[in-house]
Amino acid sequence: MSQLDRRSMLRGIMNGAAVAMALPLLDVFLDVNGEALAATGQRIPIRFGTWVWGCGFVPERWIPTSEGSDYVMPADLEPLAAYRKQMAILSGFDVKLDGVANKPHVTGTLGLRTGVPVPNETVRAPTIDVLMGEVMGQGTRFRSIELSASGIERSYSFRGAGSPNPSETSPLALYKRIFGEGFQDPNAEVFAPDPEVMVRKSVLSAVSDDRQRLMKTLGSSDRQRMDEYFTAVRQLEQRLELQLQPPAKVENFTVPKAPGKTVVDAEIGNVMENHKIMAGLLAQALACNQTRVFNMLFSDTASNLRRSASSDTHHTLTHEEPVNPTLGYQEQSAWFAAQSMVACRDFVDALAGIKEGSGTLLDNTLLFAHSDCSIAKAHAVEGIPMMVIGGAGGRVRTGFHKAGRADSAARVGLSIQQAMGVQVEKWGAGSMDTNRTLTELVA
Amino acid sequence: MFAPDVPVTGRFERALREDGLIAVGTSHGSMSAFSVEQYDVSARSIAAAVTSKERRAQFVPCQPKSETEFDKACASKFVQQYGGQLFRRPLTVQERDRFVTIAGAAQQKLGGFYKGLEFALIGMLDSPQFLLRMDRSEPDPAHPGAVRLDGWSKAVRLSYFLTNSTPDAELLRAAATGELHSEQGLARQVERLLASPRVEMAVRAFFWDMLQFDGFNDLFKDPSIYPGYTVAAAADAQEQTLRTVVSHLVQENGDYRDLFTTRKTWVSRPLGILYRMPVGTRNGWEQAEYPASSARAGILTDVSMLALHSHPGRSSPTLRGKFMREIFLCQRVPDPPANVNFSVVQDAVNRPGSTARLRLAEHNDNPVCAGCHKLTDPLGLTLENFDGAGGFRAKENGVSMDLSGALDGEDFVGPQGLGQALQDNPGVPACLVEKMYRSAIGRDIAGPEEPVLEYLVGRFESSRFRLPQLMRAIALSKSFYAVQNQTGLVLQKTVAVAKKGDRS
Amino acid sequence: MKLADFKVVKTPVLALKAGAAGAAIIVAASLYLDHSAAAARTEPASADARQASGAPLPVADTANIFSDGQAGFVVSKIAYALGPDEKTACPRGMTGGVRGLIEAYSRTPAGKMREGEPLNAYERRLSESVHTAADGRNLCMFPAAGGPDPGWQMVQGKGLKVEGIDLDGSGAGKKAGGATCSHEEFQGTNGERGVDNQFYRVVGCTTGFQPTGQANSYETEMLTGSWGILVTVRGVDDPRNDPEIEVGFYANADPIQLSASRVPLSHATYTADGNPRYQAIARGRIVDGVLTTEPVDVRFHNVVNSMNQDRELRSARVRMTFTPDGGMEGILAGYTPVESMYDLQFGVRNSKNAKGELAPERLRLGTSMGRAGALGYSCHGAYHAMLQAADGHKDPATGRCTSLSTQYRIRMAPAFVVHGSSRSTNSSLITG
Repeated sequence: MSQLDRRSMLRGIMNGAAVAMALPLLDVFLDVNGEALAATGQRIPIRFGTWVWGCGFVPERWIPTSEGSDYVMPADLEPLAAYRKQMAILSGFDVKLDGVANKPHVTGTLGLRTGVPVPNETVRAPTIDVLMGEVMGQGTRFRSIELSASGIERSYSFRGAGSPNPSETSPLALYKRIFGEGFQDPNAEVFAPDPEVMVRKSVLSAVSDDRQRLMKTLGSSDRQRMDEYFTAVRQLEQRLELQLQPPAKVENFTVPKAPGKTVVDAEIGNVMENHKIMAGLLAQALACNQTRVFNMLFSDTASNLRRSASSDTHHTLTHEEPVNPTLGYQEQSAWFAAQSMVACRDFVDALAGIKEGSGTLLDNTLLFAHSDCSIAKAHAVEGIPMMVIGGAGGRVRTGFHKAGRADSAARVGLSIQQAMGVQVEKWGAGSMDTNRTLTELVA
Repeated sequence: MFAPDVPVTGRFERALREDGLIAVGTSHGSMSAFSVEQYDVSARSIAAAVTSKERRAQFVPCQPKSETEFDKACASKFVQQYGGQLFRRPLTVQERDRFVTIAGAAQQKLGGFYKGLEFALIGMLDSPQFLLRMDRSEPDPAHPGAVRLDGWSKAVRLSYFLTNSTPDAELLRAAATGELHSEQGLARQVERLLASPRVEMAVRAFFWDMLQFDGFNDLFKDPSIYPGYTVAAAADAQEQTLRTVVSHLVQENGDYRDLFTTRKTWVSRPLGILYRMPVGTRNGWEQAEYPASSARAGILTDVSMLALHSHPGRSSPTLRGKFMREIFLCQRVPDPPANVNFSVVQDAVNRPGSTARLRLAEHNDNPVCAGCHKLTDPLGLTLENFDGAGGFRAKENGVSMDLSGALDGEDFVGPQGLGQALQDNPGVPACLVEKMYRSAIGRDIAGPEEPVLEYLVGRFESSRFRLPQLMRAIALSKSFYAVQNQTGLVLQKTVAVAKKGDRS
Repeated sequence: MKLADFKVVKTPVLALKAGAAGAAIIVAASLYLDHSAAAARTEPASADARQASGAPLPVADTANIFSDGQAGFVVSKIAYALGPDEKTACPRGMTGGVRGLIEAYSRTPAGKMREGEPLNAYERRLSESVHTAADGRNLCMFPAAGGPDPGWQMVQGKGLKVEGIDLDGSGAGKKAGGATCSHEEFQGTNGERGVDNQFYRVVGCTTGFQPTGQANSYETEMLTGSWGILVTVRGVDDPRNDPEIEVGFYANADPIQLSASRVPLSHATYTADGNPRYQAIARGRIVDGVLTTEPVDVRFHNVVNSMNQDRELRSARVRMTFTPDGGMEGILAGYTPVESMYDLQFGVRNSKNAKGELAPERLRLGTSMGRAGALGYSCHGAYHAMLQAADGHKDPATGRCTSLSTQYRIRMAPAFVVHGSSRSTNSSLITG
């Protein structure tokens, strides 16, 4: 006998409680993707990677003087100007130490990547790339690929305390690992739809069974709201349906040629060259779905980069070079910091150079670029420079500068995880702990 | 419903505030694809946790008879048990069969009985019957031809109002037996819920909403002007006021009006910086009192209130006056016209000898502005010895401030005079009654309901303004359970004209 | 206030109330207990508690720093007080440091690059040669195994004006007697005589200790909350002139609180380190607004490269003035034992990790040698230069001084200092 009153009240179950937060978007994501998909009927995977450079920056040469989208491109970011719209510059976010002793170059890097400050390499939580890999790295040949351009086998990718995932340091070795033995033509792959996705889709169809019956009992305004609900469920179903389709064919893919043997060391000319080759190989590997997660260490966090015939490394210069009184900063250290951004451009170029669907690989990648400290000579972990570059398949908004004003750097890590579909509501420990999504970045 | 350690993740859309309450806006809020996606994310993490190896013994009421064959009886039991709790009523046969079928199909595809249950649970958690509250009506035996809410719908209303959560097993039992339709049965459940610790959650959620603390999400203070207003202080400022409200109104069963004058409060170390008060407790909260010699007393002088209704770099008597009228007196102050020239005010902000009172006086030479400022400023100016982050200041730009003000013809001086004036103002408890009632029913008040408000105000007053008494009166009132298009029937006659424009 | 009176004065408890969580609570800025319910006392900064309703006093009024004759402070800036830079202080040039030794070695036959030796191997060999003693031990870990560094330059300039306090009283008619060793003293920046600052004498011609150098960057760890210093002043009747006051020095057990622009905040509450090693009380006086104290041994924490090493100062004194923001600024000076200063500022021989264990040797070695390169000295050179310049705590057995006069320029912000033993917010991050 029960029937819905014509004007009965609908009320979200989360009402009232402290579940405010969160924002209405991601429809954009659905639209963008939905369009691309409707046109091609293809599924394009999304990739995540980190790009790390050591020894921070010269603030006045890197931080835009204003926030929002109309900032003037600072000198050291000029190489990346072409990607202005695909780049979010994040300044002024702190790794909050809460009194934890700062192990120079390490505490900042790992604090940023795990949300928990540690006085050494014994991380208290997996690094963000590992968390991402658990969600999006399944089903590819490599769970993730770690690369280092300056000859050091280290990486800042930790599943737990103890052993970081080692980096590949030579372009040739990288080539052999990806395209050597065991490599299969991506387009020859046999696709088996994920049964779990099939079940999820059938659950949503079952949930929608009630639609007709419910709608009949509702008044017009409630009917509209209920209709919104069912439409949303339908959209979710369509996305699952897509996952049951074979992945998009990799367009125009040919196995790249093996790179020549190069000198692997920390001399910056060699590093730039190796880095560029590795970026190109990695981009190819991403394009043909060998992996979806990567970590590129351009220079070690205590930057070992050096100029030819000089015994000074970028790192020692940050400590030993006097401040140029005219410029107000250390001139040679600043040169390395500027070169790091040129290298970043090289890396982004490699991603943007691969066509994918109606866009490029960069459009389907979220690249999280960051350093280990802000001002290297003080090992400052406040305001570590960070950038989010790429479209992540429409999951992030870019094209702006956001000043963190000493807010927790974990907000960035939280936000990009949420953008990429990691189920996380809050992240970090102590003063880093946050549940506040960066709304500028993630809808 | 599940153990507190079952993770609930996911973010939800920003709520819609309507006429001062999110609780009212919620009934008109929309469901976007984004929020449904987030619900699905939560649903999957909850279901995985509940059916995980470690927890299934705790949550699954039976063991499958076979490793391989689908145990329909056990799956039915699981679906009915949790379906009943999630949908806040017994499942219909069709509903039960639908989710049992899901379980069977999932087991077949993915292997394992618990995998099947996991997806049946996801289905229930994704269902509109769980995500939305839906009232159901049934014929009213006492009034042939009329309808009433069914027992489960009553239980849901009652439970969300008094505990800010879904009905517990006992309440569902009372719904099933029809006890909620009898006065004694209803009274027994109301008393039981009012005595439960969850009432504090309901009161907290209501005041978070009423005090518009969602505004902190967008609040920014210039760190060079207000260095003590840190991220931690902003979070703790809200908590301070909510703790004060809950401990005063619920734990101590205090007079609502005393919230405006009480010196009792709670502090943490980040707040101690703003209050310039020592806080011994290193990690957490301690109860404290604003010193008798200080300018502070009552929640109006809490940092939360003062900072939320100020500008990033200066205080605002106008914003403060507006919020007091709207939040505590249920009056509406119009927004300023779009073409106001604020330069007179802006230019003088840091001029030596300039005070907000002088700046506003210049501004109010304009008769277009004066009308509204007359409502707001005499209240807000009495709080001018607190800066834009709620810190104490004796002077502005080097000069002492005139803290005199007035409300409804009563003159007073300073924040303590203001607190006293609000405590004495009969509009204050009446406004709370209106807001709490609207929050409880989740919609705006229909004209014929005005007498209900009058009745509730009377009950509130005779209880010497004890909030639990007001909640009891609402929970026991017939109008709280009225089927909406029949409100006219439920209520008595005589209608005071509802001045819609006066509500906020 | 007379100290005799002071001892029996107990801060009145205006009101004390048990909180919901068993916390004891205070009303008015007087006496505080924490969760442990251990007796606690506090030195409040100016609070609106003190201000009469209706006519409150401005908080920035220095006359109002004290409440019940007490005030608390947190050190917000600290740096070695050093004299003029190389241009006037170092007529014979700068200390050569490790680089100088390497250059000298590379001019010898053994220091030449060998046939077929790769560049990085050669560089490593050069570095090892100057960091290794004749007996094969590392010179940063065993500085006594090496001799004085011939390239070391002490401050030589004449008539140099140096900020600081006359520690041995020689400037005003020597009274310290046999406890100190004779040394040339500096003139104070305000024209006073007899400023003792032998630490400056040792490092003033070293690149890292120039005004542009990085020797004072240890403050960074203070601002990230790894360590901190609290000061209390009690028994003050008149903040301009009081012949008898008490000044407490404590290591801070809580991280310092900063604004969003990373400036230490005023009026935060901090808990003093409960370990008596890190607590010291001195008698003092205020004369015409200048606060000075009698000598007392103090000890604070310090953290370098995630390793702990105490910062020690024997016979320490302060000379402070009150600032308009309710804080103090001035000089903290005393004698740092040479062995202790070596461990603190040069070779990290004995530093501990967060658990209190000796830090890994690799980290200690790397930090010691890295710092020598970065700041421009050699470990053994620093060690011997300090022994040579030592001016305090004469060892009667050897007749040689064992400590070095050291001056710090400090600023303090007003703070509430409490004593208690409850766990800090950061305890779970700090330990284990």
